[in-house]
Amino acid sequence: MDTSSPAVFVNAELLKMHVGKRVRTVLQVARNEGGVMIGQSTDGQQLTVKGGDPKGFPLSHYVEVIGIADGNQSIRAEICTDFGERFDAVSYNGLCQLANGKYKNLFL
Amino acid sequence: MAKTVTPGAIAMLLSNPSPDSTSEIAEIIVQVVDLKPIGSSTTRFTFMASDGKMKIKAMLPTHLSSEVNSGKLQNLGLIRILDYTCNTIPNQTDKALIVTKCEVVSPALDCEIKSEAEETATLLKPKEESVPKSAAQIVYEQRINAAPAARLSMTRRVHPLCSLNPYQGNWTIKVRVTNKGNLRTYKNAKGEGQVFNVELTDEDGTQIQATMFNEAAKKFYPKFELGKVYYISKGTLRLANRQFKTVQNDYEMNLNENSIVEEAQGEGAFIPETKYNFVKIDQVGSYVNGREVIDVIGVVQNVSPTVSVRRKINNETIPKRDITIADDSNMTVVVSLWNDLATTLGQELLELVDTAPVVAIKALKVGDFQGVSLSTLSKSTLQINPDLPETKVLRSWYDSKGKDVTMAPIASTLSSISTKTGQRSMYSDRVYLSHITNDQTLGQEKPVFFSIKAYVSLIRPDQAMWYRACKACNKKVTEAVGSGYWCEACQKNDDQCSLRYIMVMKVSDSSGEAWVSVFNEHAEKIIGCSADELYRIKSEEGEEKFQLKLKEATWIPHLFRVSVSLSEYMNERRQRITVRAQAPIDCSAEMRYMLEEISKISIS
Repeated sequence: MDTSSPAVFVNAELLKMHVGKRVRTVLQVARNEGGVMIGQSTDGQQLTVKGGDPKGFPLSHYVEVIGIADGNQSIRAEICTDFGERFDAVSYNGLCQLANGKYKNLFL
Repeated sequence: MAKTVTPGAIAMLLSNPSPDSTSEIAEIIVQVVDLKPIGSSTTRFTFMASDGKMKIKAMLPTHLSSEVNSGKLQNLGLIRILDYTCNTIPNQTDKALIVTKCEVVSPALDCEIKSEAEETATLLKPKEESVPKSAAQIVYEQRINAAPAARLSMTRRVHPLCSLNPYQGNWTIKVRVTNKGNLRTYKNAKGEGQVFNVELTDEDGTQIQATMFNEAAKKFYPKFELGKVYYISKGTLRLANRQFKTVQNDYEMNLNENSIVEEAQGEGAFIPETKYNFVKIDQVGSYVNGREVIDVIGVVQNVSPTVSVRRKINNETIPKRDITIADDSNMTVVVSLWNDLATTLGQELLELVDTAPVVAIKALKVGDFQGVSLSTLSKSTLQINPDLPETKVLRSWYDSKGKDVTMAPIASTLSSISTKTGQRSMYSDRVYLSHITNDQTLGQEKPVFFSIKAYVSLIRPDQAMWYRACKACNKKVTEAVGSGYWCEACQKNDDQCSLRYIMVMKVSDSSGEAWVSVFNEHAEKIIGCSADELYRIKSEEGEEKFQLKLKEATWIPHLFRVSVSLSEYMNERRQRITVRAQAPIDCSAEMRYMLEEISKISIS
């Protein structure tokens, strides 16, 4: 397992704090435009994902994106994974908050 | 008085242990006391030579034994010692008097001579000399002879409650009745009886419970009044029965018809303020089915009419009234008032209900009827609008917010009924396995229910894991005489039977592990096939496949609803955990639960 560059669990809010760094997040696909995926983060904000699968992902599926944060609301994707239709966004959001807050030292 | 002992005779004898000739000896008369033969001899006697003050062990020579045998030399008689020797007895400090020559002066006197001062006393009771008196007897005699004033002060000497013990019966206490129970009738194997209790408190604040039965109960029930002070004596103490203990005291007192209860004159009646230890309504859940009684305070929202409830045991009907109270934990609870509380105080509450009065209730039993039920006991007390700081807090809360808020009854949040698909019940009373295994007293009276999340870690292949069951009623069948199976419950024979699981499994979670009993319904879900199927695998496919099937069931997490009870098995008390419901993990619900639990952890 390659642990050389860990990705921080983020939602839209936390993405801003890690611009330029490797992050991971889950968003619900809203639309696909060319190679750009636009979706809703687990804390209800819009995110843009560049460089993902050109085919795009099915609408309203939850997709995990791991890549470099290159803006307040966008990520340059390296790996994208379709998590399907059933996903608990609220719990994921809770995880992001814990991973960046009290329990940061458990994650990075 | 002429024929009496020579004062100081013994001293004289001792000071001159070996006189040379008889003429040297002054007149020495001693009394013979404790005259007895040595062993079984008839010729040798020993006695104590007494001069009224001192005694010395003495021996009579054989030639004088005839005097004894003839009756001339008698016990308690006087003899003049004419010749003697004092010898040291080896290994003893005392000397012994060897009387070599003596003459009888007087036959047996009435009594042993003592020095003059005591004579009158001993003359009064000559016969009792040799009878040892018990300490109690001596004290009693002393008391009788003492001046009247002294006697009064002795019986009135008040003992502190904390000094009382079962081994010392002569006490008087001065106590106030701080609680008076009702006169109750009971029936047991020996027949009917009456009993009532009072709680007594003395000046130091020590409390003790006093119980009276039958005659004593009838005698003292009208005598004891709440708040008054009494002198009590001639009660008995014994170790308090843990089950019925109401006050902090190792002992409890019993009064019978001979006990003395006297009202203390001049002491004002004082009913001490009831001390409360309130539990907020949203915390009541943790007391359900426990032994502890609790106190609550709340605003009355509803008062029901009185109903009559019939007791199953003796067909007695008792009045009951339910009231609903609310407090600032934003929850409501129903309190059942019984007997007098239902009729008198309950009626008062009904009349006041529109004013939303505050009630403080002490000593409520917490049951699980309909989730949560608070019930009054005979010792419960209820105060309407008591003068307490909590009353003011509740009053202001209710006036500002409480009366408008719709509050949930706490009963709805607690559910000890396990439902098959009830996800919610899987999340109430969630505990770790260690919580169950660390407390071996759980489930002593009634089984306690918990939810756990655990992995099945081991199913032993070498246990008896199923039983032959009737296809109709699922009860155990026995092999019939001819062929087939006999069901006792259905009273029928059947060629076929089904196998149903009954087994133990080991479960583990992050806190520890435990063995749980699992029945057919849940075992099927855990193992993944019916008992009949597993049996088929074992017999047709072989032992290895059978064991593999069991192994495959392990390390899968489940949500279980379990009951914990304490059972006795071969004189050993064992904790039994039984699975009552099983459900797969609902990841989403589990995550939410965990997030909430995490939020409760604080990191310093």
